[in-house]
Amino acid sequence: MSSIKASQIVKTYGKKEVLHGIDLELESGKIYGLIGRNGAGKTTLLSILSAQNPATSGTVTVGNEPVWENPAALEHICFSRELNQMVGNTANSMKVKEYLKIASLFLPHWDREMEQKLIREFQLDTKKRISRLSKGMLSMVTIVVALASKAEFTILDEPVAGLDVVARETFYRLLMEEFTESGRTFVISTHIIEEAANVFEEVILLDEGNILLKENTEELLERAWYVSGREDEVDRATAGYTQHHAERLGRSKGVTILTEPGEAFVTNCDVTIQKVSLQKLFVALCGEEGEKNDGER
Amino acid sequence: MNEILSQEKSIYIQIREMIENDILREILLEEERVPSTNELARAYSINPATAAKGVNLLVDEGILYKKRGIGMFVATGAKAKIMEKRKQNFYDDYVKRLVAEARSLGITKEELITMIAAEGVSEQVAG
Repeated sequence: MSSIKASQIVKTYGKKEVLHGIDLELESGKIYGLIGRNGAGKTTLLSILSAQNPATSGTVTVGNEPVWENPAALEHICFSRELNQMVGNTANSMKVKEYLKIASLFLPHWDREMEQKLIREFQLDTKKRISRLSKGMLSMVTIVVALASKAEFTILDEPVAGLDVVARETFYRLLMEEFTESGRTFVISTHIIEEAANVFEEVILLDEGNILLKENTEELLERAWYVSGREDEVDRATAGYTQHHAERLGRSKGVTILTEPGEAFVTNCDVTIQKVSLQKLFVALCGEEGEKNDGER
Repeated sequence: MNEILSQEKSIYIQIREMIENDILREILLEEERVPSTNELARAYSINPATAAKGVNLLVDEGILYKKRGIGMFVATGAKAKIMEKRKQNFYDDYVKRLVAEARSLGITKEELITMIAAEGVSEQVAG
């Protein structure tokens, strides 16, 4: 399997367009992080990539095969959705083991040994009804489905939501074990950006239905800078760059800027230059509009 | 290799420095195998591509070398090489910053030299 390719994906719900012509290629053998604010369109995009939701227009292919209603292509894709205690208006009375059983029937490469191992790791009680699970336990079930699916392209939608910090570390460890052994492709959406940043080889930033950027995480962070100091010095130092998310306190100002790939940020102005974390960068880029600084350096 | 990763520096740079520190402290000995990129990835929950980037920097410098199909090893003379490199960086990493900070605080050259002498640095280096 070479890659998943989405081209010109548009999705409208009623009159509202939630995805505006997405082009995206996910290569085999990488871990992708999908980040975006609530309502950015993450789950919609992931469900379209895995043909669980029809696009209004545009196509998704796996190794040149369209995925829509194509079992041969879908065999390689697992989308482990967020699980809810409710199904529509009624409680989901299915037991965990029944849910896993059904998942295994739909996923042809299901690894029962791994399923059992993960159940033990998370100490999941599989006799419990889904309606009785806590938020964290629901996430654990989705993680079991994703990892045990052995699908070449595995998509996890907020797998760590509701998990305590120990369980989250367990998840990242299990993920890395599986990834280093199998080289499967993982796409993971999350709101807990900081602790996942080191896991993602590439990060995809979705903002209001558009892909704001898709870049190697390390390279992106190497060109992100937080510049702070007295306002006029900061403006002089960052002239020519777009100032993202300017923060002011009295005479001081702090801005986040992105230089071109491979370009270091050098200035002789009296400012402090710091590295930016992925979380900070995300807030700077998606939190509010940037302002172009046209001043002279 | 038991340091904790921080946000201050790129992860691959930290991986490189951790391996260097372990060689300097003789936690990793010359001609000994170092953890593989997959082992590093699992131990620190970092992407193996990032770990490989750090390890490859050390290969480029001749501090580590690759044995086909076996793994990565510490080269003979690696410790001396790291010390030499860090000595060269000492001026940029420490001295320049020390002087810049001293200048902005109005500390004179004589005062600075007195402070360094008072720290007993020369004796320690000699000993």
